[in-house]
Amino acid sequence: MKRLIALLTAGVMIALLAGCRKQEASAQIFAMDTVMGVTAYGGSAEKAVKAAEEEILRLEDMLSRTDPKSQVSRLNGSDGAAVAVDEEIVSLIREAGTYSQATGGAFDITIAPVVAAWGFTTDTYQVPEQADVDALLAAVGMEHVTLAESQVTLERGTEIDLGGIAKGYASDKLEAIFEEHQVEHGMVELGGNILLIGSKPDGTAWRLGVQDPAKPNEAAYAAIVQLEDAFAVTSGSYQRYFEQDGKTYHHIIDPATGRPADSGLTSVTVVTDRGSGSGTMCDALSTALFVMGEEQALEFWRGSDYAFELILVTEDGRVVVTKGLEEALMETKESGYTYEIVS
Amino acid sequence: MKLTTKQLTLCGVLTTLALALSVMENQIPLSAAIPLPGIKLGLANIVTVFALYVLGPVQAMLILVARCILGAVFAGNMNALLFSVMGGVTAMLMMILLSRLPGLSVYGVSIGGAAAHNCGQIAAAIISLGNTAPLYYLPILLGVSLFTGALTGIIAACLFRALAHTNLMRG
Amino acid sequence: MRSSPKLKPGIWDALVALIVLVMAVGCACAVWTGDSDGGGELEAVVRMDADGTDTEIRMRLDGLNRVERTVTSNGYTLQIVLTETEAWVEASDCPTQDCVHTGHISRSGQSIVCLPARVIVQLVGGDGGDPGVDAVVG
Repeated sequence: MKRLIALLTAGVMIALLAGCRKQEASAQIFAMDTVMGVTAYGGSAEKAVKAAEEEILRLEDMLSRTDPKSQVSRLNGSDGAAVAVDEEIVSLIREAGTYSQATGGAFDITIAPVVAAWGFTTDTYQVPEQADVDALLAAVGMEHVTLAESQVTLERGTEIDLGGIAKGYASDKLEAIFEEHQVEHGMVELGGNILLIGSKPDGTAWRLGVQDPAKPNEAAYAAIVQLEDAFAVTSGSYQRYFEQDGKTYHHIIDPATGRPADSGLTSVTVVTDRGSGSGTMCDALSTALFVMGEEQALEFWRGSDYAFELILVTEDGRVVVTKGLEEALMETKESGYTYEIVS
Repeated sequence: MKLTTKQLTLCGVLTTLALALSVMENQIPLSAAIPLPGIKLGLANIVTVFALYVLGPVQAMLILVARCILGAVFAGNMNALLFSVMGGVTAMLMMILLSRLPGLSVYGVSIGGAAAHNCGQIAAAIISLGNTAPLYYLPILLGVSLFTGALTGIIAACLFRALAHTNLMRG
Repeated sequence: MRSSPKLKPGIWDALVALIVLVMAVGCACAVWTGDSDGGGELEAVVRMDADGTDTEIRMRLDGLNRVERTVTSNGYTLQIVLTETEAWVEASDCPTQDCVHTGHISRSGQSIVCLPARVIVQLVGGDGGDPGVDAVVG
């Protein structure tokens, strides 16, 4: 009988070890004005999630535009003086500058004062006078930013907002953390920024839904793509907007006009493989390509050295998907959209 | 198959006993403790185990079918017939198989039978509902069958010991 | 006596028990995993057999105040309660009362089954009933 009990106990252990699942951990973090979800399977999943939480909070402290103590806030309040900051911020601003250059200024972190004039920073929405906007635009552009090794100088009137790449950058940092802790499968959701590590624990691809811009508050998808080891970021006019006098104004400001980008798109999703692109890149490009509009965005995709794929949702009800995602795409029935594959 | 009068009598007595046990276990509100549809102690399986060893598989199967049909008639619930037949027959087949394996005692046979019984009942529930939702209960039912199987095994073992000296066992 | 059964449990019996146990754990892994108990929007799906036809009610639990539904199925009447986080059968006139005893369910994948009434109350991970996604970008 003793033997029987011993055998049974051993059986339970074996079954639990082998039959069940790998270490799993997840956390939800409220940061950067959104709810972030981090899930990891395998490796030191628990440690990885804990480290991810700390990293997100660290980045928020550093990059926040609304927290007056953050390094970004100190920069913005510098009134033309040079400010000593972490090298990390300098290199992030430098990276932002390269995306700005690559996209012909369609992505620009110095658009911050104009965004603030529209009230998107403080939730006090208003349509500013064009003259005021034009005055602010004079200080917009990366040429007003001077970088040194660990020092940044913003010209008087110029302000930066790293919000356009902060979440993408955070997803890159979390990728490194997950790698360090040998996480085998994982998902990071940072408010519109997704990082997928490996496949799902069951070996199948992750199913990623692209929010239907026409139904922002519903679980409705313009498309579903099956992805593994990828970054995905969406920029959409539905994410933040206000209405005034029957007109809708959204939060993606075109640095060329200082007004909400009127490009005929309702959302742009940039997808890249973990090996060939980064979350920061996806974050910056999704904004820039939204500003550019369908034609220019596809042209950029064809000619760019960056490796990425696109899902564009247009105002006239089309979903335009680039060739590389053809296999991964699952058209969603009843979405009402027509699908186009472009190459 | 030739039935001696003694065997026939034994079949009748065992059918009655199985029927009595299944009626009795319906009175035990086990579902209050473990609220799962179709959960039973499976006391009638004691008779099946016993019949399997003493009379053989064919007679054991006959007793089982008679018990299921009569049980459903008495309960006035023909829907339950599917459940008891599916559960009973699956358990029976499993126990016939296991009883042929050398080295297994009544305990192993009973536990295997109880597990198969629950699998059969879940299958019946899936068929009857046309939905796989009952699968959700399978892990729990399998776990519980370890205990109900061990219980019927203990009772059956006691039974064999107690009757070892009677000529009942020497058919 | 056709064959004499062994009456003492041995190592092989333990093996049978072990196999059953492994099956139970294996089934649990197969049936009970893949449920997100956080984040996903829960939806209650009530399937029943009203007047001989299969009927299905779907209700998003997110932001739901307490809702009581009385359903009649296969001749029995069940009182089902749905809240923002839970679902349960408050009362039923079915003979087994298993559905009432099952108690409250709150996780995606869980279900309450009433066999006599042929009613299934199931919690699914929302997403409007489409094939389901693991994450949403946007």
